Amino acid sequence: MRPYAGNTPVTTSQTAPDDPDFALTKAVLHAALDCVFVIDDAGTVIDLNPAAEVTFGYTAEEAIGREMAELIVPEALREQHRQGLERYLATGTARVLGRRIQIPAIRADGEERLVELAITRAGALGNELFVGYLRDVTDQLAAERELIESRTRIVEASDASRRRLERDLHDGAQQQLVGLALTLRLARDRVESDPAAALELLDEAAADLKAATAELRDLARGIHPAVLTEGGLRPALRSLATRSTVVVDLQLGELPEERLSSAVESTAYFAVAEALTNVARYASASRASVTLSCTGGGAHRRLHVVVQDDGVGGADPAAGSGLRGLADRVGALGGTLTLTSPSGDGTMLLADLPCTSS
Amino acid sequence: MPLSVLIVDDHDGFRSRAKRALELDGFDVIAEAADIAHGVAACRKHQPDVVLLDVHLPDGCGMDCAAQFAEAAPSARVVLISTYDEIDMASAAQQDGVVGFLPKAELSGHELLARLDAYGARQA
Repeated sequence: MRPYAGNTPVTTSQTAPDDPDFALTKAVLHAALDCVFVIDDAGTVIDLNPAAEVTFGYTAEEAIGREMAELIVPEALREQHRQGLERYLATGTARVLGRRIQIPAIRADGEERLVELAITRAGALGNELFVGYLRDVTDQLAAERELIESRTRIVEASDASRRRLERDLHDGAQQQLVGLALTLRLARDRVESDPAAALELLDEAAADLKAATAELRDLARGIHPAVLTEGGLRPALRSLATRSTVVVDLQLGELPEERLSSAVESTAYFAVAEALTNVARYASASRASVTLSCTGGGAHRRLHVVVQDDGVGGADPAAGSGLRGLADRVGALGGTLTLTSPSGDGTMLLADLPCTSS
Repeated sequence: MPLSVLIVDDHDGFRSRAKRALELDGFDVIAEAADIAHGVAACRKHQPDVVLLDVHLPDGCGMDCAAQFAEAAPSARVVLISTYDEIDMASAAQQDGVVGFLPKAELSGHELLARLDAYGARQA
């Protein structure tokens, strides 16, 4: 830092520029990634380090000599800041001194940022000086908020899928079983009086039972396909490809032979399932390709899942809850989901997952 | 004279099987509806003796709208039906016109008559 040359010169014998201790202090503050402002008892900036210059967009020459409140404190909070300083000087009572607080601050270009601020007294220099240490935490707070939001979405998606499951069971298999109960009751009442009618009713009951069984099997496959649990990704993806209404070219040559962790397998499976459902519904595509491959090794191994189609493109990742749910699911494993869908030029979904063996 | 019945339920498969079961047991199913709005209209038009009213309907809860059926056909007796058997009968009985509750899987002419008779006995 420079010798204090602002409104309140404080250069003393203890802080002479040629003092080795002073040079060390200067070097330390110069190297700090956190912003450091030094102000005097009038609230005037008498020094700042390079991090503060970069973060707030002022050169030292522009900032030194100006009131700090005017430089970086948002207008709405300036009066409060000034009164706080006055109160401290008059009474020794401080609300913010020696604590870390989060407050908004403004840059030279007017952009508001959230900063973590700690103010301490540096009165040993003979004058009443205050040092403000600031760190821009805007991006960190935004990331924390996104994390909370995505966790909430995962819980909501789980609740929604339970409700959907209940409804599917109620409207499907359960109704078929109720009908079956009525039919069987009728058949029982007619076994002696009208055996031919009873036989017909029993045939009907058998057909109802077959339909209910098929319904339950489809539902169970949607929840978690047995073939994935038992056989892993290869047979599960082959089964998905077979059931797809578009022609699917499955490329699994670079997928390792050994089983992956169940979280990775099921996320990769549902990524392909969601993508193929969207291809069939919206893409007007004639073909799709599904390619799974692994790169890296050990802790750095990653599984890449790519689903590409030759359809109309123009897919909006924010449009449906399906893709957002998938992005949350991929994100929860520390992976990334990328959708590339230029209008008229097909769609590519890439899920990139950290990948461990089972 | 057989008792006339209106069936209000949103599942076609259930309605057709319930109609067959009741008719084989001597009831006359004179109308069917898949939701409350059509059910109340049919009730007003046909003045059935009995309304079989599903608790979960697309446009509302059968339990809450039983009074609309009672108002549409004052002599009709409403029997609530549901896939589930968790209906709280104490609260169901407080609804205007509701005489009883029957789980769908147990529906038959015999069971329906038992509900109507039990209600008649409580009223006597």
